[in-house]
Amino acid sequence: MRVWGSVLGGYARSRFVRRVLRDFERGLVAFGDLERSIVEASSVIIGAQVSAGLAYVVDGLLDWHDIFRSFVSSWRNVTPTGLLRYFDNNFFYRIPLFTGEPEATRLVWPPRVKLYSRLSEPSGFKVVIPGPFTFTSMSINASKASFGELASSIARLLESEVRAAVESGASMIQIDEPILSDPDIKKDDAIMAVELINSIIRDIKGVKTILSVYFDVPSSSVYEVLLNSRVDCLSLDIIDAPKRALDLILGRGFGGHCGVLGLINARTIYDDDISRLEDIFGSIIKGYSGEEIGLTTSTWLDLIPYDYSLRKTKLLGLLVERIARSFNLEHVWRVS
Amino acid sequence: MAYSVPRKFPTTIVGSYPKMPQALEAIKKRKSGEISEEEFKEIVKPAIREVVEDYLWAGVDIISDGEQAREDMVVYFAERMRGYSIGDWVRVFDNEYFRKPIVIGRVEWISPMTLDHWLYTTSISQDRPVKGILTGPYTMMEWSFDLYYRDRRELIIDLAKVIRREVEELIKAGAQYIQVDEPALSTRPWREDAELLKEALDIIFKGLEAKRIIHICFGRLERIIPYILDYPVDQFDLEMKNSNFRLLPYLKEYGFNKELAFGVVDVHSFQVESIREIEEAIDTVMRADIVNPEKAYVKPDCGLKRLPRDIARAKLKNMVEAARRAREKY
Repeated sequence: MRVWGSVLGGYARSRFVRRVLRDFERGLVAFGDLERSIVEASSVIIGAQVSAGLAYVVDGLLDWHDIFRSFVSSWRNVTPTGLLRYFDNNFFYRIPLFTGEPEATRLVWPPRVKLYSRLSEPSGFKVVIPGPFTFTSMSINASKASFGELASSIARLLESEVRAAVESGASMIQIDEPILSDPDIKKDDAIMAVELINSIIRDIKGVKTILSVYFDVPSSSVYEVLLNSRVDCLSLDIIDAPKRALDLILGRGFGGHCGVLGLINARTIYDDDISRLEDIFGSIIKGYSGEEIGLTTSTWLDLIPYDYSLRKTKLLGLLVERIARSFNLEHVWRVS
Repeated sequence: MAYSVPRKFPTTIVGSYPKMPQALEAIKKRKSGEISEEEFKEIVKPAIREVVEDYLWAGVDIISDGEQAREDMVVYFAERMRGYSIGDWVRVFDNEYFRKPIVIGRVEWISPMTLDHWLYTTSISQDRPVKGILTGPYTMMEWSFDLYYRDRRELIIDLAKVIRREVEELIKAGAQYIQVDEPALSTRPWREDAELLKEALDIIFKGLEAKRIIHICFGRLERIIPYILDYPVDQFDLEMKNSNFRLLPYLKEYGFNKELAFGVVDVHSFQVESIREIEEAIDTVMRADIVNPEKAYVKPDCGLKRLPRDIARAKLKNMVEAARRAREKY
């Protein structure tokens, strides 16, 4: 069995990035200079992941103000509005307001993939998109479309993003649906979410696809539905509620998907107890029949300070190494 | 002559108000070490005066200092109690950050944290009551990193003791309204968390001779309503407008029997609610038959700090007028 590591998503911003973004907002820095600064800072983050031995890396999403914003800014008929708390974090996103059917004016991911995938070698480059169900649920729909129609429109645009990202060289596509961990999500919601995800990845071949659910553990009825998804891997936040996560996984397995385990706590700054995480991994692996398994962070690394986000990257790398050794697994650390 | 708070539908605020330029400048100077804490307290006062003028102009009955000195609701207190280290920058939204504090030792009260500005606000409030507003122990705990206790109960109990000490200072000075803000509770709406906070609130509020208020906003409060209704408070201050009064049936079902301060204007929206819209919001709450007008307080959903000042003022003005009309109606 193979084991690999990958940080779930975006990174915290360094002081340098915070300053350059602030100066750009004040008109003190030109767009070209901002872009160059972001590329420099992203390169550092990619380097940290590659040197930690992570098989798939992200660019840090340093210029994204929240998970939706880059898409909202690149689409017509939707605009960022007021702030709302992002799940159980002291972090706020701007609520997308849809006033009509969204249309893309440009693609978000392909230019990034072309630029950063080369810097990522020998690791593969991961693309992260918000899932259409989470996107729609966390937006205000002032268009004439129903919830389902708007979600389908969003899914169509995301499908174009993903297709173009794969053509540009992405190695992995991760679709984030954190809202599916919400206890109020019903089975029908999950069915819709899975249908939308399936529509996004329908024609995608040659890259690994992941459905990622975090901030909590989905209910068993929701999880049952997620097992029908056509993605290759299912990623779960284990460490937020280890007991419930283990009950779910030991009871239901991964339904033939590759499991991706959110073991490194991305919302705390203390060093994770690697031995404890090995124990949790051990109890999961006993009943696991897949050929590969991924290890990741419990959520994005943008909810802790920058230096700790780098520290957590290193800890994730160490965890993958330790687990590979302890359980006699093949450690995948290069993709290209 | 003392100001007489209306018997029905008193109007109030949750606490924060858009930061005045003087306050922003003072916070910056204090952070960079250019000024001392004592100088800081003085420099912030003109900002508080402007806030109070806005409240008085709008006609709000029970007011605050607008939390002009508070860079952030957690950081402000963490910087002023023992046991905390000010951490590194963590994003709050867009390109805005706060220094998420780290608990590195036993938390202890050192000296009054909010008293000076409460006293100042009271001195210029034209006799309107001023709330003593404190960030609650659950929110302090949840929105900090903890490298010392590694045990949530121990940490929250010690935080409650610190807050209790501050409350005693405010009561001694004459505060009649003590509000503890717990926005973090609704983001982790689990029974064990609700019960943990109850234990802490027992410490904070035990035997107090003042109106005891808890403010909770957003999130999924309905999940824990049954576990919080016996909190040792006189008043629940809840966000309602933003969530379209979703909580009302739950309050009804579980036999809510305390005072209810309910949000009638949305602090996330730049659109100023009309007087009519706010009247309808009050009507919605009254139709739910949960509280009578004597136990109903009218207020914004949450702090107004994220709004432009002119919008915050306009919202308050309409809110006060709608409450006045409600007094005639009910």
